[in-house]
Amino acid sequence: MIRIVTLDRIDPSDVAALSGTLYRAFGVGTEYAGDKPAPPEAELKDGRLEALKLLREAPHVRSLPDDKVLYITSAPLALKAGPLGEPPCFGFADFGGERAVITTAKLPARGVSEASVEAWRKRLAREAIHALGHTWDLHHCYDAKCAMHPSWSQGLPERPDSELCVFCREKSERKIRLAKT
Amino acid sequence: MRGPPARHPDEQREQLPAVEGTIADAAELKVGDRVVYPNQGVCAVVGVEEKDIAGQKLQLVRMQREEDGAAVLVPKNKVPSIGLRRVATGAQMEGVFHYLAAQFDDPELDWKVRHRDNADRLIAGGVLGVAEVVKGLHSLSRIRPLPTKEREQYDNARHLLVHEIAVSLGVPAVLAEDYVDFALMPPAGVKFDLKPPPKPVLLPSRPKKRRPAAGEGEDDLGLGDLGLDLDLAGALEGGAAVPGADVPGAEGEEAEGGEAHAEGEGAEPAREAPEAAPEAEGEDEEAPARPAKAKAGKAKPAEKAKAPPRAKAAAKPKAAAPKAAARKPAKAAAKPAAKRGGKKK
Repeated sequence: MIRIVTLDRIDPSDVAALSGTLYRAFGVGTEYAGDKPAPPEAELKDGRLEALKLLREAPHVRSLPDDKVLYITSAPLALKAGPLGEPPCFGFADFGGERAVITTAKLPARGVSEASVEAWRKRLAREAIHALGHTWDLHHCYDAKCAMHPSWSQGLPERPDSELCVFCREKSERKIRLAKT
Repeated sequence: MRGPPARHPDEQREQLPAVEGTIADAAELKVGDRVVYPNQGVCAVVGVEEKDIAGQKLQLVRMQREEDGAAVLVPKNKVPSIGLRRVATGAQMEGVFHYLAAQFDDPELDWKVRHRDNADRLIAGGVLGVAEVVKGLHSLSRIRPLPTKEREQYDNARHLLVHEIAVSLGVPAVLAEDYVDFALMPPAGVKFDLKPPPKPVLLPSRPKKRRPAAGEGEDDLGLGDLGLDLDLAGALEGGAAVPGADVPGAEGEEAEGGEAHAEGEGAEPAREAPEAAPEAEGEDEEAPARPAKAKAGKAKPAEKAKAPPRAKAAAKPKAAAPKAAARKPAKAAAKPAAKRGGKKK
């Protein structure tokens, strides 16, 4: 089961659309677990939230073993800089763990037209699938059409699909089948 | 930047310098040490235990894979040979990232060579070898989708690299993977101030079973051993020249083709990196089943490079063709047209 927790206010219809897409991607039930406050410990001086701390300190949600919890925030996320600098952060997850967080701050504007809202929802779903994929041991994929392709890649299409490639889907399915619950 | 060079031609695996951090003696291991088991990942040493296996008492080093807690037991005397090594240091990791971010446009296109080399790199190449596999397959994936086996190998290599980086830099695996892809696929407008990447991993040579191409290895038929002094090239030309007498271009084409082939091979060492130069020769020597000659060839690689015998042999027919044609003009004219140039058409 995937449990969605919003750390900022998000339109319920967007959450409903996201639930449907996640179900189609992983074949796992999805449930909205409510709105919770972001942990103040994760806040940085520049207004961003530190992704790693946010996952550690995020409000607890009642869940079963093998459940995944997806936090959604509108605040930009920050990562620790690596040897070549700080990579852009669209989301973060515990590899093989149970928690993932995504941000809407880096997504294109939601807009008001039906087309732009649809595009925004699709992109949100892609980031959610990407972050949750990491919790099922998926690595980044070189296929630009796959949701596991890095979100900052120059090869990413303007309106990327919110689907996994065959390799990633089969790998995640194997992982999900092995789950105890 | 070029891709990783071809296999090291002359040195045996034992003679190649060991990858930095390789554990040469089991006595170096202490409880709690974090080591990298090739193809398995980062393990923590739990201790040494004695086990009775098939009536023999064996001393085994017990390790625990950090990723999933799986137990790994290695006989103490096998530790130096399995390629166990320490987790890469910060300096090594920096080199890996500079290597990943460097330009790479020369993936190995022969899948057999590539797959074998990649397997060797994963086992014996250290963290840089793993990075080479990831980068090599990643750049290949830009040209065409990887076949299933290589897709799995790519995923495994990525898994090993990500976990070693995570342990070495003390960051979560997802963040380590972001670092890797930030280097491999930088976002638009990002340019890195790169240092020269570390020296690529050298791999030992392997005997290559290569079927000689048509026309290749003419001088290795063993006729010299029979004590016969045959002008093989002349005889072949004589035979070929008869039908070709009417069509001079055909003979010329054949000779040119041969020459081009020889030139291509002769030119290869010049194009390749200096380490790769003897490789082509090694290949040439190993194909025919004549160990004595192969040894001689290996002993003097420089001489061979100066005067490639095949280039000479290929150049010869060009000059001999008009002679042969002049010798039997009447016969050639008498032969029916169908017999003359059946193949050449």
